Amino acid sequence: MNNDAIISVTNLVKRYNGFTAVDGVSFDIKRGEILGLLGPNGAGKSTIISILCCLLKPTSGRVIINGFDIEKNNNEIKKIIGVVPQEISLYHTLSARENLTFYAKVYGMSGKALKKKTEALLDMVGLTERADDRLEGYSGGMKRRINIAVALLHDPEILILDEPSTGVDPQSRKRIYDTIRKLNQKGVTVLLTTHQMEDAEDLCDRIAIVDKGKLIALDTLHGLLDMVGQSDIIHVMTKGIQPDTAESIRQIETVEKVSVDDGNMTIQLVHGREMLAGIIDTLISSGTRVESIQIKEPDLETLFLHLTGTALRK
Amino acid sequence: MKFNIIAANDIRIFLRDRNAVILMFLLPMVIISVAGLALGGDFEQNIQIDVLVVDLDNGEISKGFIEFLEEIDILDVDMESNEFAARDRVKDQEYGRLIIIPRDFTESTMMGENSEISIIVDPTEDSQNTVLEKIVEGYANGLSTNVVVVKTVAALGIPVYSEEQIFEVVDVANQFAQPLPVQVKTESTSSNLGEFTSFTHYVPGFAVMFVLFTSIGAGSVSLLKEQEAGTFRRLVVAPISKAEIIGGKITSTFFKGFVQLAVLMIFGHFVFDLNLGSDMLALTVLIAAIALSSTGLGLLVAVMVTTKDQADSVSNVLTLTMSAIGGSWWPLFIEPQFMQDIARLTITAWAMDGFYNLLYFDLGLVGILKEVGVLVLMTIIFFGLAISRFSFD
Repeated sequence: MNNDAIISVTNLVKRYNGFTAVDGVSFDIKRGEILGLLGPNGAGKSTIISILCCLLKPTSGRVIINGFDIEKNNNEIKKIIGVVPQEISLYHTLSARENLTFYAKVYGMSGKALKKKTEALLDMVGLTERADDRLEGYSGGMKRRINIAVALLHDPEILILDEPSTGVDPQSRKRIYDTIRKLNQKGVTVLLTTHQMEDAEDLCDRIAIVDKGKLIALDTLHGLLDMVGQSDIIHVMTKGIQPDTAESIRQIETVEKVSVDDGNMTIQLVHGREMLAGIIDTLISSGTRVESIQIKEPDLETLFLHLTGTALRK
Repeated sequence: MKFNIIAANDIRIFLRDRNAVILMFLLPMVIISVAGLALGGDFEQNIQIDVLVVDLDNGEISKGFIEFLEEIDILDVDMESNEFAARDRVKDQEYGRLIIIPRDFTESTMMGENSEISIIVDPTEDSQNTVLEKIVEGYANGLSTNVVVVKTVAALGIPVYSEEQIFEVVDVANQFAQPLPVQVKTESTSSNLGEFTSFTHYVPGFAVMFVLFTSIGAGSVSLLKEQEAGTFRRLVVAPISKAEIIGGKITSTFFKGFVQLAVLMIFGHFVFDLNLGSDMLALTVLIAAIALSSTGLGLLVAVMVTTKDQADSVSNVLTLTMSAIGGSWWPLFIEPQFMQDIARLTITAWAMDGFYNLLYFDLGLVGILKEVGVLVLMTIIFFGLAISRFSFD
């Protein structure tokens, strides 16, 4: 275990009815960093954070949070973590203030301290003026901001967010990111899961890539992109791909990986721009009707394809 | 303990839902009113119990007892002097029930000795026999108080030889225990038995049914709603014990059921002159036992199903079945015996028995001990099963 680590996960395994959701995952999170768990839906990210939040018991492995063993000091850990679930876990017929007050009481707060904290959080998420309106009248982004505020009531040392930007408009997304950055600047360690590369690229100090229950890479964004080398990604949207097309593309020199998903083809290759004409020729000659083609510089998606052989967006 | 925070929040959320509040109070009031008024006449005609009485004592107390029976509207009392002839008439099914007051009954009672009133019944009319047994039991309870006073005096070493002395003892006891135990018991029971109306059945009947809807239906759905909305997970990750979370949920559901049942009984009392009996503590205990057992069943339903729609369907089927079989919609005694036996598995049947014992027979706390005991036992079983299957994952 790293001495700076506030969270240390060692050989974590979780099985449900014979299905292995998390398969021997190990990683540390340093105090004060933002770590992103990136992976497609069903990769095991939510199971990992459910274990860290004390919601699920691991089948095997060890998790130490701030020196406390998750199997033995459940309650101590709950006091120092704030959890932002993926869904809006709030009471929609209550107002924002009532929601915050209820959860503050659950965390043992009362009196002036409770009032001061709820007001400060309402101010932080910019909803003081709407504080007494029922949540059912809020937009999705506003609800998500309150969803985060609830997790901050007890000044947690660690903030765990499950897909924080899912289903929010760009403006709310920016506001959520700003909030996470501000908290991190105040010393809060952040662990977030996401299947969106933008979240990982914009926010995270380090990124852990998870697929099929395994941790397949963990590094800074630059470190991870170095793994891909000079590869580019070409996205091809078609009106139907012929059966042999993928194999024909694979035969092209410099093509490293090809994945096909519902009429879309993702090609990882070196010197993408130079090879584009040859790719188009192969597609047309195989009878594939191309709608659009997009070339991308190396990014996390390139990396994901490089590491797993499948596209991240599904 | 933080369970009260969760309970208070649940109740606040419930009160925000106007439709749910209306459904909880207004709808049962309307149905009670319609059923009670529409079916009242027919209902009253249905209850008539014939009984033959043999008075071998012919004393003051036995005569008082017979007068008491004759004052009760639902009893058709006939006298027979010959015990053997009376037994034959019951055996020949000319009468369904026979009461035999033993020789020296008055003297035994006055002297503080044990005595026994016999009831011989035709076993095919079980529910009517039960009604008669309750009536006699109620009267005997009153007399027993007298016997206990005399026995107590004897135990303290004060000899009692004559009737005058006994009355003197009772008079002295009265100075310390007002009102006079025997008189209170007799008057109160007699008064209640004379006031059996359709509302004596329909107020508790429909009130219990709607409490089942609240506690089983709304209770289980509310828990599953929280699980589906993720608010339950949010509570589980907070530093609060699982027992406190479940305790809070149970408390709020129990509270809603208790208040609903109490309000509907009070509604029956003020609007339809429903007699609530003389023992408010007993009524409170019974209402609490009913609310608690149905809360337990609601929790069990919540852990047995996976979605709130399933919970809704299962609880509706359970509530309607228990109400039909258990005697919410019609008196249990009009059902065939095997259905009455099955009804013993329902909360409704025990709840209705308890209400009859209080509202009609006015048997007080002692008279509902068995019913409350069974409801508490059901509560323990429901909670035990539910908690053993509850998953916080």
